[in-house]
Amino acid sequence: MRSQTRLPAAVAALLGLSALHPSPAGAQDVERGREVYEQWCSQCHGSEGDGQGPAAEYMIPRPRDFTTGLYQIRSTATGELPTDEDILRIINEGMPGTTMPGWEEELSGADREALVAYIKTFSQFFETLGAPEPLEFPGAPGASEERIAEGRLFYDSIQCFECHGAEGRGDGEASSTLQDDLGNPIRSADLWKAWTFNGGSTVEDIYQRLRTGLDGTPMPNFSDLIDAGFMTDDQLWNLAHYVRSLSPEETPTPEEVIVVGQVAPGELPGQLADERWGQAESFYVPLVGQIIENPRWFDPSVDGVWVQALHDGSEVAFRLTWHDRSRSPDPGWLEWQGWVLDAMAPREGENLEPAPRPDGITVQFPPTIPEGMDMPYFLMGDGSNPVYQWQWSSVPGTAVKAAARGLDIYEPLGAEGLTSEAAWEAGRWQLLLRRALVPADPASELQFEIGVPIPIAFFAWDGDNSEEGARGSVSSWYFIQLEEETPPSTYMAPLVAFLFTGGLGVLVVRRAQRRDREVQAAAAGIVLPPEPRPQMARNFGFAVGALWLLFALAAAGNSVGGWAAGQTDVGFWWAVITGFLTIAASVALIGTARHRYQGPRKS
Amino acid sequence: MGRYTKHPFWQSLAVVVVSYALIRWGIAYLPGLVGITSAPVPASVVLQYTAIVLVGVLVWVSDNEERWTRFKEPIHAALVEPDKKVVRMSMMAVVPLLVAFATFNNVRPTISAPASLRSIHPAPPTQITFRGETIVLEGLENPLREPDLEEAAFELGKELYYQNCMPCHGDYLNAGGHYAPGFNPTPLELRGSSTIAQLTESFVFWRIAKGGPGLPREGGPWNSAMPVWEDFLTADEIWAVTLFLYDQAGIAPRTWEEEGIEE
Repeated sequence: MRSQTRLPAAVAALLGLSALHPSPAGAQDVERGREVYEQWCSQCHGSEGDGQGPAAEYMIPRPRDFTTGLYQIRSTATGELPTDEDILRIINEGMPGTTMPGWEEELSGADREALVAYIKTFSQFFETLGAPEPLEFPGAPGASEERIAEGRLFYDSIQCFECHGAEGRGDGEASSTLQDDLGNPIRSADLWKAWTFNGGSTVEDIYQRLRTGLDGTPMPNFSDLIDAGFMTDDQLWNLAHYVRSLSPEETPTPEEVIVVGQVAPGELPGQLADERWGQAESFYVPLVGQIIENPRWFDPSVDGVWVQALHDGSEVAFRLTWHDRSRSPDPGWLEWQGWVLDAMAPREGENLEPAPRPDGITVQFPPTIPEGMDMPYFLMGDGSNPVYQWQWSSVPGTAVKAAARGLDIYEPLGAEGLTSEAAWEAGRWQLLLRRALVPADPASELQFEIGVPIPIAFFAWDGDNSEEGARGSVSSWYFIQLEEETPPSTYMAPLVAFLFTGGLGVLVVRRAQRRDREVQAAAAGIVLPPEPRPQMARNFGFAVGALWLLFALAAAGNSVGGWAAGQTDVGFWWAVITGFLTIAASVALIGTARHRYQGPRKS
Repeated sequence: MGRYTKHPFWQSLAVVVVSYALIRWGIAYLPGLVGITSAPVPASVVLQYTAIVLVGVLVWVSDNEERWTRFKEPIHAALVEPDKKVVRMSMMAVVPLLVAFATFNNVRPTISAPASLRSIHPAPPTQITFRGETIVLEGLENPLREPDLEEAAFELGKELYYQNCMPCHGDYLNAGGHYAPGFNPTPLELRGSSTIAQLTESFVFWRIAKGGPGLPREGGPWNSAMPVWEDFLTADEIWAVTLFLYDQAGIAPRTWEEEGIEE
């Protein structure tokens, strides 16, 4: 046992490195490893290490079976055992895109080391085959446009698209036929989501996967082809750079408020392909399996949707983008559906047979903008508080409106006033939804208001993954806010505050100075000459009057604008403000003009 | 130096500035020292506390005539003395600019989600109806916390937890499940001293059995992704999960004696 105490990360990393060198694991290590494993790992990986713990059936991909000695993420050649460092790395960092979390912060360095020792005892190969050697790679060449373009060509020439699709979204011809060595369905990686790559998202990680393959999955290794002279190392690096370039640098994180940008009246993009969408900000909303109401679904296919939204003061348009490996219903995926339904627990509800099912997405809002914090239940409302929905389905391919009072309990509201356009291409759905801010039927439909946060939530289905009804993916409530034009008062108020504070400052300083002069003069017995006629003060009075008049004019403009836009309350209150400002301006102007100077103030 | 440290004006200024810094950053720093997660001090609290300090300082300086006169000296000097012209002019430029900036920040349209005022530990009901049966929560202990039942209950609870609860509440009971980032509010962290360690097992039973939709209004039932587990699990299964949560996280439930209720 190296240490009993919890170690800082740096020391733990050093211990991890030292594990590279073969050192016989002590019996103590293995015993401690067994305890930790039983407490934290056996639920999924099984007490026997066979990957069949009680929770295993709720997960795809399944937890690793340690008894075979077959490991997906390694630094060693295909078919070889992993190094101790490889195993430790997965324990530390987990496997993105799967249910395996990282344990670096949770377990001490010694405990994680002990786990490595214990996990290796499940397979005799670690003893019989001896310590494996990691493959040696040259360092990564820097990324460049040329490398990425070359990588793209190489991607096509070695036919990565067979599984990963023409654009890399995991939608290749063969993607519906993929199984792992255990016979469970497995999805080809969506290369646009580096944050879900099982072996990590850096260019080096991607390159290492290409060299070592992902043992136990259909992903091959390319080391043999390099050794045989069919491709060069450089070409493989280009490929790694191309794959990395498909994903954003950083993992997208959701924002609580989706900003609906404002465009000039009539400038709202009416079509999916409109170039103006390119300028609209994109907001990522993660979706997770609906595991709240019966029947639950632990293997959702749609894990996020990108939302873009614009309005022009009279209409609002949304463009939703999400990845889906097939345009459902696709008969080529019926067999896949059978595999998924057989593999996934819990098998709740009905219709657990493969069947042609459409893709779909539902956008939901409250029927009216909530006054306080109360909202309808995010999972499609309930009996007392319905939600207002736009339901789109790939069959027939248009969107309709509805009021829902719970999962699958809804009342259709027709399609009047809701325009939609959808397209599936290379593993990606895009959907345009457009409606006037003021609805056809204000009694049952949401009226969008500018400048106010409005709750929004999503529900998506991939029909070819056997999803329908409650089996799908969900989001909780987010907000949209329609951008408003900055009102002139936003700039007026600071100006007024500046002038007011500055004026007050001048008054205070002048008073203090005059009193100081008087005190000094009195002390010296001098009688001060009378103050000159204050032409300055007169000018100041007129300037203030003119400024108030200017404000009054601006307020009158706001008022007229408010009435014209049909916002009578805005029009009314600006009219009141105009009145006060006019009175203030007249008093200042007339008062200054009529005022006669009567010599210095007597005190 | 001593000219400043002994002068009531500079003393007052130092007290106000130091207090502001302590209120703004110092208070928030404290919980971290004892291992509790901290949060920034709300702006309204900072304003209130600083105002109290300011009033205290003014009472102190004006309490004594001589001190009050000395306190006013630098202010007066800045206002009238010819050699303080630079100070005077810069104050007269900087102060209105700051005021204008603060005004702008207040009136400009901002995009932010409405404040959520949900209560995390709402008051529990005294009794609930569980699958048609009335269960009185007050004074109720976990029936499985008996020497001969505990071990089997822990194993059952462990199995149920990792099948049903892990996707959100996490393998390590730290709210780090792979579905956790999909929900807002995020799932409750179960370990540590600040969540279920503060609650009785009957409270936890109620929360599991009735889930998000069973929350009172102040708990924000419309946005909680916690399922209504009485639809999936029996009472014994929920008690088993409850027992497992405390044992696996290495914490003890609050007892009814601590709550001041005799059994």
